[in-house]
Amino acid sequence: MTANAATPANPGAPGAPGAPQTGAIHDIGYRHYDGARLGRGYIVRSLYLDSLRGGFGLGRSAKSKVVPLLLLAAMCLPALVIAIVAAATKATSLPGGYHAYVLNLEVLVAIYVAALAPASVSRDLRFRFISLYLSRPLRRSDYVFAKFTGLASAVFVVLAAPLTILFVGALLAKLPLADQIRGYLAALAGAVVFALVLAGIGLVIAAVTPRRGLGIAAIISVLIVLIGVSGAAQSIANERGADTAAGYFGLISPFSLVQGLQTWLLDQENPLPAGPPGTVGGLVFAGVTVVLVAGCYGLLLLRYRKVSVS
Amino acid sequence: MRTRRNRYDLRVPLLTTTALTRTFGPVTAVSELTLAIEPGVVGLIGANGAGKSTLIKMLLGLLPATSGSATVLDLDVATRGEAIRERVGYMPEHDCLPPDVSATEVVVHLAKMSGLPTTAARERAADTLRHVGLYEERYRPIGGYSTGMRQRVKLAQALVHDPRLVLLDEPTNGLDPAGRDEMLGLIRRIGVDFGISVLVSSHLLGELERVCDHVVVIDGGRLLRSTSTADVTSASGVLVAEVDERADDVTALLVGAQLTARVSGRTIEITFAGDDTYDHVRDAVAQLGVGLVRMERRRHHMAEMFTGPDAGQAGEKQ
Amino acid sequence: MTALVLAQVSRWFGNVVAVNDVTMTIGPGVTGLLGPNGAGKSTLIHMMAGFLAPSSGTVTLDGDPVWRNEQIYRRIGLVPEREAMYDVVSGWEFVLANARLHGLPDPQEAARRALATVEMTPAQDRDITTYSKGMKQRIKMATALVHDPPVLLLDEPFNGMDPRQRLQLIDLLHAMGEQGRVVLFSSHILEEVERLAGSIQVMVAGRHAASGDFREIRRLMTERPHQYTVRSSDDRSLAALIIADASTSGVELSVAGPDAGAGHVGGTAAAGLHVQATDYARFIRLLPQVAAGHGIRLYDVVPADESLESVFSYLVAR
Repeated sequence: MTANAATPANPGAPGAPGAPQTGAIHDIGYRHYDGARLGRGYIVRSLYLDSLRGGFGLGRSAKSKVVPLLLLAAMCLPALVIAIVAAATKATSLPGGYHAYVLNLEVLVAIYVAALAPASVSRDLRFRFISLYLSRPLRRSDYVFAKFTGLASAVFVVLAAPLTILFVGALLAKLPLADQIRGYLAALAGAVVFALVLAGIGLVIAAVTPRRGLGIAAIISVLIVLIGVSGAAQSIANERGADTAAGYFGLISPFSLVQGLQTWLLDQENPLPAGPPGTVGGLVFAGVTVVLVAGCYGLLLLRYRKVSVS
Repeated sequence: MRTRRNRYDLRVPLLTTTALTRTFGPVTAVSELTLAIEPGVVGLIGANGAGKSTLIKMLLGLLPATSGSATVLDLDVATRGEAIRERVGYMPEHDCLPPDVSATEVVVHLAKMSGLPTTAARERAADTLRHVGLYEERYRPIGGYSTGMRQRVKLAQALVHDPRLVLLDEPTNGLDPAGRDEMLGLIRRIGVDFGISVLVSSHLLGELERVCDHVVVIDGGRLLRSTSTADVTSASGVLVAEVDERADDVTALLVGAQLTARVSGRTIEITFAGDDTYDHVRDAVAQLGVGLVRMERRRHHMAEMFTGPDAGQAGEKQ
Repeated sequence: MTALVLAQVSRWFGNVVAVNDVTMTIGPGVTGLLGPNGAGKSTLIHMMAGFLAPSSGTVTLDGDPVWRNEQIYRRIGLVPEREAMYDVVSGWEFVLANARLHGLPDPQEAARRALATVEMTPAQDRDITTYSKGMKQRIKMATALVHDPPVLLLDEPFNGMDPRQRLQLIDLLHAMGEQGRVVLFSSHILEEVERLAGSIQVMVAGRHAASGDFREIRRLMTERPHQYTVRSSDDRSLAALIIADASTSGVELSVAGPDAGAGHVGGTAAAGLHVQATDYARFIRLLPQVAAGHGIRLYDVVPADESLESVFSYLVAR
């Protein structure tokens, strides 16, 4: 039985005249929970935020913050330099511009995805932690959704941060506003697509290689190889004057794929050896992008269907 | 003295199944299972491998039945799976904890995954970890924990969202006798003090005898027995006495008092013939001036369900 | 008479002393090797089987050393804990291969007999991958029995078995013991050891803590008073009579707790008298005499700490 006696009127005053000395032993036994139980929406949001924060090692050990934060710094550093140079030399335009920034740093981005995709999903699979999710009101599809959007958001942050630094630098250098806003927003839109595509590829590979080291190696190998092959194929085709082929070879690497799409859709300068050939090419690029993202998401759903609670 | 916090809503059956069946191609994991279980601490025996894990998945609403139906806490597993998982806690048999985070982090995270707002999740995680017996170690990474500590973390995550029922799958696996004892004590506390119903699966009949009010025996996917513990551990018709010397003389005195008694190994087995039997034994021992090492009514054991005359009979006996 | 003798055996791995100066003799019949996790049981068994050399001391079977002695393997069968087996063959093929490896004169017959002993004949032609854990365990046993060894060593054989399989294995080992074989099995599941082992060897942190019949060991533990639980028709008066005597150092009267629910044998929730007897022999004589003299009926007289569990926890705590 609980014994919650009333405390004296003036507990801090020792020896207060006439105040009865009372004591109480409070009940610290098991308490039931009659508070709010928030539904699936809250749960998915929670998991999403957890994944997003995990993308920067927040909420994990100090060791897991090192790689993502270093990469983030490395991504932002060139932008910072460009911004400072532009402001200092009163340039008339940002050297390099927004739209090619991601492409130029594609290797760093690839490393980021390779490091963080396994950190997001491999652990849950390898240690079968996922059973503890499945026995809760969360569905498998919710889990996939939260992890996918979480990682995609983290990748987006990694891409948007340097772009924003460039934008701020441009503002400080008093470059023409309308142009800068257009360029910045277009690059951001491109960053969204980059994030979705890369998160998709990274997570699919990570989800089938539960050992984290293997996952990192697999993702980085796949991405670097694709980048390399695409670049080589495009250059060779270009030299031979096979422009259409060169254009389509851009489909091989996810970076040139999204870049090509950006170029076609937003009518930007093309930093690649060749862009999507014509409208047909553009549509193909768009189609492949959509299929790639949807396909990766679908594969993830399939992979997680095999996981069970016991 | 604390009174029993009875949260069992006795009007609501804990679990019912009606001809529940699940097949995987030619293999039948669960076959025509029909059960009705009241709230309390219930043991699940004998279901091994495929049968048990299939049953758990079906009860959590994660696997549809091939035929038949089931309800958990009066919710249909086929349509209210999510609602069931909100109210049920599950402690898996297998290892499921990552090594690089602490117990607190895991339990808080999973509390949120059950729908608890952040503040409530933190408070309940802290409280639950205390109740299962994890103190300072809860801040250290799980990688350094012993088996006993890991089992406690698994139990804590099953309790943190205040479920009405917890499913414990072989909770004493890998524990040494002291750890086993503590875990069983904890399970009993959950059922009695916390007022949460428990369905615990185990291979060890001795454990289930100690801890469960009711026991369900499944063999090859079929129901073998569903019975209260009291019924299978009731006193038998034999009074067992052990004396430190002159057992034959004691037996002779008992036979002289019209009792059926015989020496068997270290003990004297006496056919119980009413409460007077106790007095005859006491008096015989006192009269001869020997020591009474033990005297008790022999009880039935759960193991007899497997070896006794009606072992192997499928069907329900209440 | 076959006997496995260990003389001052120690085994260390770098700084870790897994087995520390153990001397024991294992004779015919069933012996249980008990100890908490990490006590060195597995290491000891592997040394007995000749798979591991002692760092010091000797292990001999009927005078012949066990290490580096191929002939010895004819006389010893080991059932290890780990499950490594060639999955691609059937049970029959696996056991037959083992029979051939032993160079037996009639491997087919030996394999047939071994499989029949473990009751795996119906499933012998299926691939081992399709077997349940219990079935794999039985195949392991068959390979250990195929050469009909007089010594059988089993490392945690009951791990993961359901009650029926467990009872079958207990019967099998019991039969082997009755045949005069030396059967040694390790376990930390006390209820099996209690049921099966004629004598026990207890290991704690590499040291040999006790050997013999557990009841006798208990009686040897004179430092600790015997604990008794007594239920009678007038507990209070009986308490007063008992404490008046020098044989008792403490008497505790407990009323039924909230958990005195149906069917709970054991546990401190039982009502009655809990007695600490410092002079065991005197107490067991005193009790029936004062009860008889004062007309108090005795219902239960049960030594509370004679179970293997309490002997074990006492030994582990020293």
